[in-house]
Amino acid sequence: MNQSTLALGVEAVGCAAFDAGIKGAFGYPGTPSTEGFEHVEAMIHAAGPDRVAQWASNEKVAFDLALGMSYTGHRALVTMKHVGLNVAMDAYANAALTGVQGGLVVLVADDPGMHSSQNEQDSRKLAEFAWLPCLEPSTVQEAYDFTLRAFALSEALQVPVMVRLVTRLAHCRAPFQRQATLPPIGVGQVPGNRVQDWVLIPSNARRRYVDLLAKQPRMREAAAELNRLVPGTARRGVAAAGLGRAYFTQLILEYPELAALPRLDVAAYPLDPATEEAFLAQVDEVLVFEEDYPLLEERLGLRGRARVRGRLDGAVPRTGELSPRVLKDALGLGALEHRTAPALDLPVRAPRFCEGCGHVDAYEAVQEALRAIGSPEARVFGDIGCYTLAAQEPLSAIHGVVEMGASISLAVGAALAGQKPAVAVIGDSTFAHSGLPALLTAVESGADVTVVILDNRVVGMTGQQPSQALDQVERLVLGLGVPASQVQVLTPLPSKHAENVAATEAALRARGTSVLVFRRECIQSLRRGVLKEHDRELRERQACPTCVPEVQP
Amino acid sequence: MSATRIHGIVLAGVGGQGILSMAQILLEALRRSGLHALQSEIHGMSQRGGSVQAQVCFADTPLTSPLIEEGGADLLIALEPLEALRYVSMLRISGHLVTAEDPVADMEGYPPLEDVHRALRAVRGAHLLDTESLARKLAHKQAGGMAILGLASRFLPVPEETWREVIAQRFEAKGARIVEKNLEAFSAGRQLLPEGVEA
Repeated sequence: MNQSTLALGVEAVGCAAFDAGIKGAFGYPGTPSTEGFEHVEAMIHAAGPDRVAQWASNEKVAFDLALGMSYTGHRALVTMKHVGLNVAMDAYANAALTGVQGGLVVLVADDPGMHSSQNEQDSRKLAEFAWLPCLEPSTVQEAYDFTLRAFALSEALQVPVMVRLVTRLAHCRAPFQRQATLPPIGVGQVPGNRVQDWVLIPSNARRRYVDLLAKQPRMREAAAELNRLVPGTARRGVAAAGLGRAYFTQLILEYPELAALPRLDVAAYPLDPATEEAFLAQVDEVLVFEEDYPLLEERLGLRGRARVRGRLDGAVPRTGELSPRVLKDALGLGALEHRTAPALDLPVRAPRFCEGCGHVDAYEAVQEALRAIGSPEARVFGDIGCYTLAAQEPLSAIHGVVEMGASISLAVGAALAGQKPAVAVIGDSTFAHSGLPALLTAVESGADVTVVILDNRVVGMTGQQPSQALDQVERLVLGLGVPASQVQVLTPLPSKHAENVAATEAALRARGTSVLVFRRECIQSLRRGVLKEHDRELRERQACPTCVPEVQP
Repeated sequence: MSATRIHGIVLAGVGGQGILSMAQILLEALRRSGLHALQSEIHGMSQRGGSVQAQVCFADTPLTSPLIEEGGADLLIALEPLEALRYVSMLRISGHLVTAEDPVADMEGYPPLEDVHRALRAVRGAHLLDTESLARKLAHKQAGGMAILGLASRFLPVPEETWREVIAQRFEAKGARIVEKNLEAFSAGRQLLPEGVEA
């Protein structure tokens, strides 16, 4: 099979995982990683019942699902965005010690420039932290090829292997060549004498940590196979990784004189000191092009062999993503001649709520209720999703957004310091992701806090994947110990505004934890009919006299 | 080794207008014409009614950079006039601009439309298309985008037949009538320029 396929970089990773013979794919949505899972999910569904694709309630759960599958000897893919790896970090760092059986590949999509994220942390650093290999493709073809290689490497070294993408590659569409698809057979169970490896009690963990460190030379060798030293005649060189490598490679096409620069092309980690030394021996000065952190730059700089330039000395801007322009500035190449933009003030066209979105009605009710209790200036803790848009004008309804699930604990912390009222606003999927333990602690703390759950039944922002809390929000809330008298389910519609305000006001005046569930389906998912089939089945079950009516829609 | 000429296209519009879909048609048409092409797009928050931009670059050798720089675009295609203005500086001196005249003005501080149009007309080689009238004339509400693509196609090294194949395949699932309507809009746009003008 040698066909050329058109896909996004992140989809090529999903496609490669399928071709590598995975038994399952797991993940939590997050831009720019989402389409990687969705692509392999579509392939898995089309291929029949031999494989599974399952969104998880959060990235840690997704990682553990993949690890459990790997323990059975099957290959598994787990996908997430960079900040999702923080959530999965406990699992990721400890799976390094237990090791894996079937190949386990972690697709992590970083977001330099923060197109859709709250920070621009560098996942390569977390791979280094966990003593694990990381492959960093620069093109869609490499995204495919490196993922296949990552599965083989994962099985050869018995560790999880990260494939790190960045937004521009994740969302770059280009053709690539596929290999034959392997069946999801797996490598078989781990032998009985190795099962203790998975039990990280201190006596085993100490042994496994030594084992992990002993694998480092083989990890460096595997990385060295992908990293290339390209000689040149100049005394100034370029070290480039990921998109930095992609941009520089193309600049050589446009400026052939750049081919004279010795080059260290970095595509995999951990780096091999011998390669670094060999490169530095050829140059007096090095420009480093890498996305996010100055990781390569620091390593090369520490060797003290050449003047190393990049983000740390300002040759490359300290923050934000790379671009051809950034590289050209650093290389001293002039700008292209271009048209002059007309002198007209162009207002920013910011993203905003969809016309008719229920979140807006919910926020308006909350704001009016806050005015009614005499706290129009109350600080409201928000969370991550479409509803984060309320931080902007004209609503300006939330005043703190940190990480997934934080809103509830932030409100409890503030309440414990005396803030009144203490309000958290969280979406249904974010609630399922990491709001559940926070709500349990809220109840336990006894603090006066109002939790507003915006239940639009889907993960709206990332493309309306079904929420893990679908049809279950109030049962979860009750199960976590919030008294039934303090839980209200409301419909965020302009026609219900007055009753929603009254209910919110009552919740704000209540003692202990009160919860308001504003439920109305996301209008985008409604338009696309995402839950149509689900709701039809639900209605049938409820209409059936012999079935127990398990859930209320 | 001589320098490779890399061609760039910038597509601009508002979330929901179909910019990404148009970029995919362009990518496929260029690829079928034997060119090496890449497309870059941004998803996520930017799609909630905000500005949307996609880029396509192509050459006769394989490319690796999904982004083009200021002055790297040979063609700027816009489905909204204010969005067109944002990217004028991406155009090469010899570049062309094809844009819809009709605004999506549901925002604070949208400048007077005549100022926007005047600024666009001041761009040499600009083609402004009254997509609303064209849609009325063709009795096809969504004709605008396809007509813009038709007009823009005159500046690209892709045979007309290839465009028609790609468009037909793109809308195949929606039925023969939708395919026909889109091909008609594409042709209408394409014919807005007399033969030879693009050279």
